[in-house]
Amino acid sequence: MRLSPVLRRQHIDFMFKKHWLVQGKRIPIETGAEEKLKKKGIKVEDALEFIKEKPVKHERIQIVGPYERPLPLDENHPEYKEIPCYTLKHTNVLLEGLSQAQVLTKTIVADGTLPPKIEELAQLPAPAAIHENVKKAILSANVFDCEQKKLPKIKDPNRPAYNFPRILGITDRRRNQILTNKLLQLVEKSSDSDVTQSKYVVNDVESNITFNKEGDLIQFQELSHILVTSNKPVKHSVENDIPFVEIPDLFPVKHTVTLPPEHFYKEDSSYPFQPSVSVCHPHTTWLHYNATEVSNVYETPVTPHQILGRSLTHAFTIASAYAKQLYGEDTKDLPEPVYINCIQTDAQNYHFGVLELNTLDVDGTEGTKNVWYCKNNLKLYDSSRYFSGMPVLENYNNKVYGYINAFYNS
Amino acid sequence: MHLIKVHRTFSKIKGTVTRPYSHAAALEQNEYTSSPHYPPILDMSIRARKFRERGTLHRKIQQINTVEAKQIALNMPRYYGWKCVMLHENIIPYNAMPLVQCYTRTHFMPIEKLPEAYSELNELADVVVPEIKSQIEDAIAIESAGIQRNYTITPGMSEAAQKEDALAKSIVKQINRIITNNLTDKVAHILSTQVDYDPRHEAFWFVGGVDIPRKVIKWRQQYNWLKGRLFENIDRPVQYLGSPFLAVRSRLPLKPLVPHSEAENPDFKVQKFSYAPITVGYREHYRHGANMPGFWPGDYDEFGLLSVHGRGHILARKQSYGPEDNLGALHCQAMKSSFGWLLAQANYQGFTTYNDITYPLVTQTVITNGQLWSLYAYQLNTIVMHNEQMHLNPKHNICFGTTPLKLYETIENGKVKGLNEDLLKMLVQFYLNAPEEREHEMKPYLGKEMKVVADIEDDNKREWLESTFKHLASNRPRHNLLPETYLWEQIYKIEHNTRFFEAKRRPFECGINPFKRRLDEHLPPYIPKALRAFPKSKKKFEKTYYPKV
Repeated sequence: MRLSPVLRRQHIDFMFKKHWLVQGKRIPIETGAEEKLKKKGIKVEDALEFIKEKPVKHERIQIVGPYERPLPLDENHPEYKEIPCYTLKHTNVLLEGLSQAQVLTKTIVADGTLPPKIEELAQLPAPAAIHENVKKAILSANVFDCEQKKLPKIKDPNRPAYNFPRILGITDRRRNQILTNKLLQLVEKSSDSDVTQSKYVVNDVESNITFNKEGDLIQFQELSHILVTSNKPVKHSVENDIPFVEIPDLFPVKHTVTLPPEHFYKEDSSYPFQPSVSVCHPHTTWLHYNATEVSNVYETPVTPHQILGRSLTHAFTIASAYAKQLYGEDTKDLPEPVYINCIQTDAQNYHFGVLELNTLDVDGTEGTKNVWYCKNNLKLYDSSRYFSGMPVLENYNNKVYGYINAFYNS
Repeated sequence: MHLIKVHRTFSKIKGTVTRPYSHAAALEQNEYTSSPHYPPILDMSIRARKFRERGTLHRKIQQINTVEAKQIALNMPRYYGWKCVMLHENIIPYNAMPLVQCYTRTHFMPIEKLPEAYSELNELADVVVPEIKSQIEDAIAIESAGIQRNYTITPGMSEAAQKEDALAKSIVKQINRIITNNLTDKVAHILSTQVDYDPRHEAFWFVGGVDIPRKVIKWRQQYNWLKGRLFENIDRPVQYLGSPFLAVRSRLPLKPLVPHSEAENPDFKVQKFSYAPITVGYREHYRHGANMPGFWPGDYDEFGLLSVHGRGHILARKQSYGPEDNLGALHCQAMKSSFGWLLAQANYQGFTTYNDITYPLVTQTVITNGQLWSLYAYQLNTIVMHNEQMHLNPKHNICFGTTPLKLYETIENGKVKGLNEDLLKMLVQFYLNAPEEREHEMKPYLGKEMKVVADIEDDNKREWLESTFKHLASNRPRHNLLPETYLWEQIYKIEHNTRFFEAKRRPFECGINPFKRRLDEHLPPYIPKALRAFPKSKKKFEKTYYPKV
């Protein structure tokens, strides 16, 4: 017979485990010493009081680092407020997309129509040299730029655990940056010098607005990737006999859904340009849709309807930040409407919109309303990439450039 | 009974079986010539043989057809990358000027006014400056005080430097916009130029004529055949990395500032700098060499006109370096970035660090913080300085540069005071300087039909070359760490032989230098059986297309 089964019967690990369990639950045995000592009049002290060291409170040391540390986000923070503010940032989207944006901004939508002047200008043919340069810009943004950064992980829904090699390439942020800036440069180069001299172009400027809607405090924080301003406010002559999409009823959803409540915020609105600047009037704002940066609060993929909603809230933010700077924070109905053009793009699809801002009072659905004219989903090209080692640009659509040009020159 | 029973024919064996009859050897008709032709008499010393070997390598690289394949060929000798001297655009140690001048082979000429070649642009610039003056004043005032911006500060660089660079970048964008918009109607070349924001500029080259490291001498001493070649030259690979705020490029190159023959002028000779670069403060790093002028090969606009760089790094320099060295640092930055960008452009024309350019290339460089502007004009005459060429090559590059000039004095109450029109004029002249078609061949060392890999017809080869080129350019770390001699091995195995009883398996015990591994010394990707060609392909590994150099 082999010895090991016998020997293993006395498993030492098992014994140790049991021993720890028993020892952990040990009850102190009454020895009667305490009573005896008490009888003799000797005071009994708890031993633990002498063993435990009292914790020494150290003062917080101010560490001088390479940069100033941010303040802790607690009630002593200078921006802390009791009342939460529902905040929409440019990296977030609304759950109900355009419909929710309509409710929040009290806007009716003219879908598929732009002001007649823009439509007229958009039909003007551009010279072939310009289109050649647009194609160069598209290729430069999608193919020829040297950026090599990690692109999002590739996932195959059929085999979700499979790890594909990580591809390095041009990120969507860089692609949008290159393409929109080059397109705008081209438009400016081909425009008259009077027009370009009256305009001003800035990159990456922030506008914030805070407003009340039916008792809720709401804030929009938007970033214009390109903001074209001009020396006089942009004006559009508009038609009123268009079929408008009225403000929908979102029930059972409340209009603040997917706007996270924040306790740290500034109450006032901000428009990036000082009023003393001569070219402070917003003209056209360009909004990038970077798929890696913009997401839903609940991690579901962003839908096309939600992307369209972004355009409206973005244009509304910049227009009303400007209007608030011009007419004061508490203005309700504006003496004359503020217009702003908005172009949203993910480098391939272009969404054009013009906002007519009539009122800053967004309570309810009655009374003066804002109007949003839009023409969405225009494709600049079908695909542009390295296809089996060759740079490719498929189906360039020359109409989009016409609209961009018309927006700039309107 | 049959010993072997098979139902097939042995076609291969048929091929190997020789036929039993033989030919009479055909007599060479031209075996005899009237005068004897002797093979050339060659110097058979090791030095000369190595020299000839290098020459063949350079010729082989020259004969490669496509730009990408040439770049891979430059990297062929090193699997783990070259140990490159890293010349970052923004890292300039104290007294770096002699090193930078020697490594870029640049003669620096301080100037007050732009060189002669710009004089013909004077008149037009005089017209343009009054037109844009007020706009530029407004733009500077708006950018400095009229716009509210939130800068995101990243750790790694000082806050002051980052803020200065951010402001400078926005001012540069405005000035570029104003000047290009104004000039589009006046000069033809502006419309089709491309403006890149924050492009990636990289350049790779070899520098010879530097002191031999002690390590190399020690290594050479242990071999008999290297006894006479202890102090023989070695190359130092150099890698430039930079990113300007803005770069303007066009299809045609700029006109030369001075004739190409002037490049051999002995006045432009540059002092040798043979000390190790670490003595100045430049460190070394294992990298694959990459040449990148801000775009991949195949882009239409291949020649640079102008690049604008920031000077925030000057703020991060130590106070004790003093203003004189700060000025030198700006010149260094200009020479590095101009040479780096032009070298990368030259590489896309088919030249490499081994095959010299056949015509000069020119670029214009501006370094600014919004208020102080220094302007440089650079002419690239030669890119060959490897090994003995450091001494033999008579050509040098030329850099003209100004001291930092103030574009304006102050900004008071939102108004710019004292705009420097002369400086603005020089800046406009940079934009006015029109590129021109050259009369000679631009790409003599590239194929006639095939200039970039996109022109290759073989699908597999094209895809393979493209992805390999990009992979090398990305400098992604390899899946295994770099080979290394651990410190305990250095002490207990190399310096003191305390573990003589152990099996000798580590590379240094077998006399192997693991860094001397060629790029193609690896198993090619395996083809799983299910994916092999039908029927019954025995090909286990995918084909690789490394250039044969």
